[in-house]
Amino acid sequence: MSEVALLQLIGLSVVGLGIVILLFIKAMFVRVLGFVAMVLGSFSLVALSVPQMASLPPAIESFDIASVKTPDDLASIGQKIFFSKGQCALCHSIGPSESARCPDLAGVGAKLAPEFIYESLTDPQSYIYLDFRHEGLPEEYPARMPYINKNPIALSKPEIFSVIAFLQKMSGEPISIKVEDVMDMGQEEKSVKMASLKDGAL
Amino acid sequence: MIHQSLMNILKNLVCKTRGLPLLKLGTVFAVLLLPCLALAQDAATQAMSVEYRDIPGMGSRNLIWIVAQQHLLLAGFVLGVPIFAWVCEIVGWKTNEPRYDKLAKEFTKLLTSAYATTALFGGILLFLLIGLYPKLMAYLTDIFFPSFIAYCILFLFETATLYMYWYGWDAMQGKKKAFHLFLGFLLNLFALGIMIVPNAWATFQASPVVVADGTDIERAWAAMQNPTWWPVNIHRLIANVVLGGFICGAYAGVRYLLAVSREEKEHYDWMGYVGNFIGVFGMLPLPFAGYWLMREIYQYNQQMGITLMGGFLAWLFILQAMLIGVLFLGANYYFWMGISYRIPGSAQSYKKPIMAMLIVLMVCLGVWMTPHSLVASLEEARKMGGTHHPMLGVFGVMSAKMTVSNLMILVTFMSFIMYWRAGKVETAGWAKIAKSVMGALLVIAGIAVIVLGVWGYFVPAIIRINYFSVAQVLIVLFIMVTFTPLTALLMKSAKTTTEMVWGQMPIRAGYSLVLNAVMVILLMSLMGYARSSSRVHWHIYGVMRDTSEYAYSPALGYAAAFMSLNTFLFCLLVAFIFWVASMGGDKSKGPQKEEPKGSQEKLPEGLTPAMAGGSPRKGE
Amino acid sequence: MKGPLFNSAIILTGMYLALKFILPLLTAPLPSMLISLYMLLTLSALMIFYTMSGTSLDEFMGPIARFLSGENQVGIAKPARLLVLVVFPLLVGWQTYTKLAPSDQPPAENRTIHPAPPGEFVGLANPYPKTPENIMMGKGLYAAYCSPCHGANFDGKGPAAPGFNPPPANFADPGTIAQLQESYLFWRIKKGGVGLPVEGMPWKSAMPRWEKELPDEFIWKIIMGEYDGAHQSPRTWEEEE
Repeated sequence: MSEVALLQLIGLSVVGLGIVILLFIKAMFVRVLGFVAMVLGSFSLVALSVPQMASLPPAIESFDIASVKTPDDLASIGQKIFFSKGQCALCHSIGPSESARCPDLAGVGAKLAPEFIYESLTDPQSYIYLDFRHEGLPEEYPARMPYINKNPIALSKPEIFSVIAFLQKMSGEPISIKVEDVMDMGQEEKSVKMASLKDGAL
Repeated sequence: MIHQSLMNILKNLVCKTRGLPLLKLGTVFAVLLLPCLALAQDAATQAMSVEYRDIPGMGSRNLIWIVAQQHLLLAGFVLGVPIFAWVCEIVGWKTNEPRYDKLAKEFTKLLTSAYATTALFGGILLFLLIGLYPKLMAYLTDIFFPSFIAYCILFLFETATLYMYWYGWDAMQGKKKAFHLFLGFLLNLFALGIMIVPNAWATFQASPVVVADGTDIERAWAAMQNPTWWPVNIHRLIANVVLGGFICGAYAGVRYLLAVSREEKEHYDWMGYVGNFIGVFGMLPLPFAGYWLMREIYQYNQQMGITLMGGFLAWLFILQAMLIGVLFLGANYYFWMGISYRIPGSAQSYKKPIMAMLIVLMVCLGVWMTPHSLVASLEEARKMGGTHHPMLGVFGVMSAKMTVSNLMILVTFMSFIMYWRAGKVETAGWAKIAKSVMGALLVIAGIAVIVLGVWGYFVPAIIRINYFSVAQVLIVLFIMVTFTPLTALLMKSAKTTTEMVWGQMPIRAGYSLVLNAVMVILLMSLMGYARSSSRVHWHIYGVMRDTSEYAYSPALGYAAAFMSLNTFLFCLLVAFIFWVASMGGDKSKGPQKEEPKGSQEKLPEGLTPAMAGGSPRKGE
Repeated sequence: MKGPLFNSAIILTGMYLALKFILPLLTAPLPSMLISLYMLLTLSALMIFYTMSGTSLDEFMGPIARFLSGENQVGIAKPARLLVLVVFPLLVGWQTYTKLAPSDQPPAENRTIHPAPPGEFVGLANPYPKTPENIMMGKGLYAAYCSPCHGANFDGKGPAAPGFNPPPANFADPGTIAQLQESYLFWRIKKGGVGLPVEGMPWKSAMPRWEKELPDEFIWKIIMGEYDGAHQSPRTWEEEE
């Protein structure tokens, strides 16, 4: 017997029990309980009568560094990071969006050089206006952009460049990031994280 | 080193406490325990890497599911009841009617007895979460720690206020009443805080925002202000009132069924009416709040929106429509029965309008419950050319559902207005004009809602969502805010032809009150499952993945069986709490007749609040 | 024979006949599930209406109770009651048996046509501008890769279409691509039927995953061509300017 059939059987018995209580038992409180049991049993039966479907989590994808051969591969890794681990899509959109809280990134890959994008991700404070509204030395307006290479997001340099490759691709431009360069960066940082790159791994 | 210095301190302690053998023994014992502490520390570092723990046989998620659901339902009740208990108290104070004060006190009694159990389940839930989901809890604690403190402080204040509010009820009558009402206000204020702080934790899981650098308080505050926080706050606030109202109604319904004396019957019939009234009035704006929440979710992340509305959970919304439909029918049924039983001789004259309302409700429900993707066998699907029916498929989309839910709200509201006016004859000269204006407005509003709904099929989604649906909601709200004062004015000069008789309702009425409460509890469980499943395999959406074996979302049937179990457990729990509460002070129950009659001036008929069911004071 | 019970029987039968036999004259027949849903709603409406007051309740339930209890029964009613008491449990048993008996019919299905796409495909926008050249190129690619199934007229009636169940999507139908965003189409074209989540029943879709054959640029342009050719526009969340 399948589990659904078992649950249906239980549901039916609960409804039956409720009916029996309402037919034969006089004590009011027990009757109310029997009524409640009937209602709940019927609700379960209705829910069990539609085709059942569970939502399974997708497989945790891991990236093999050897599989990255073309800039397109890089961009598809960048796409995954952009929408999960990097948390970029929590604020930014690509293309106009009602909900985006921060600048639209459509076309930035074509407008901005990769080095500039890298700098604004790792040092968001660098091009921010100074605040002169008080005595003494000017202060910096705090950037709303977090440091992407530091906790809690903490992307590695190769990861950031794959995101930039993705942004270039989404601008309809040829990707200027070279796979070898990214590999070298990985060597530099002595921690090739690509192998253990997991969705949302913390 | 540390070990040694500790030993020294202990030695000193032992010297100083010479002559106190028990303490000495304790100290020695503590010294013996020191190595154990070191061992425990080793274990602790090991435990840091544990991400999940499981309960064999039952499953950690199922246990959390049950405990969290019980806690949430109890909390909903505990936070919802003070709102209308307080309103009820104010009404009693303003109108000088003791029965409202009595009722408010009875509500508060239920609240006080449920309060400790709520906290108990909260504590169990917390321990289980820390034990079973250490990784997630560590992450949340890191972000939200300052709000934990705030929550604890709020809880302290809430408890103190509740004690004063409840135990000071009789002491603070008369001149001190104003202070008591202020306490009631504070109680609600703290309750609001207690609700919105944990809401922020839950909504952060569904719609996280990037938490940048800053002090702990800044980070917690930034994380609290996530996009779905306020929509959930409003939605839950209203839903809590609805839950509280219907549960109080069900309590009264059960007491009515159990009642033997005529006085008890009258009192609980009336209390059941008030409970149902509160529930229905809370329910009327609830779909609008839900719509706002849904819209925010769609805006935040379309993937989540699609999962909810069109994807894996689409069938859940058909079940929701069914439950809401039963709730609307149950509430209306209770109103209609009230007309035919409480107002003798009116059954025949209201048959026609009731039939019309019933047909409208049923047609609306039929449309609402028609799914977009139909369940069909292979043969049937082939005949339809897919799982969308060529003609009835149009009922499956949002435009149709919004329209019918607005119409159902409108009908329920009219049902209430009809109940209010039943058994009375307007005497004012302008009554005829007012009535025809109201009738015309109602017809126009109904037509406008339908036209907007049909037109909604032919415009882009964004126009429909931003303008048409909002317009529909505004039309219905307009009807509600104009009709209520207008009817109150009409009733002011109305002549009562037939007095309402309380305590005459049939047994069915008691059961329908219970049914409504069960439906609300089921609905809350169902939508809790929806909220939780819409995160699919994420603990914190898009940020922290659920890597436990329970990352999948269970199928609807299994979930429904669980919701039913939870609902039943909750009903038993509440019945037990109320039973215990009623053992103490049965004498304070029931309408008390010792109130001096002449002390209150008679209020004009129309001012008798709608809450009283438009009936004259019965307590006198 | 007049009374609430008789009226109810008439209404229920009329409703059933209308749903089962009259409606199919106008459109496709309803699945049995919908018919039972509407019948259930009708029944509950009748129950609610006739239990509203004491008198109507007696009129409605009285005959049933008297019939079942068998009090003061004479003539034909007696054997009829026995018959009902015997046949009804048998009916329930038969119903249960047919439900549980193994059959060669596939289970009724509940396929989600437009399931939620994976997160990384939700927020994409078409990077190519809507120039006539791009649209032209998209239509050309469509003719080469898509039209065999989805049809040269974007109506899902290509020469290969009759071989598929479910049939290829009809883009001219306002219920298909007009309800979706460009990023959704990008996902469906790129990942195909096998890329569907379980609620979309990947085993039912014959749509190829084009990621190996077509570069992203082609896919974006095909999408442009599809919308233009089918005279639809993608669903948007921002205001039309």
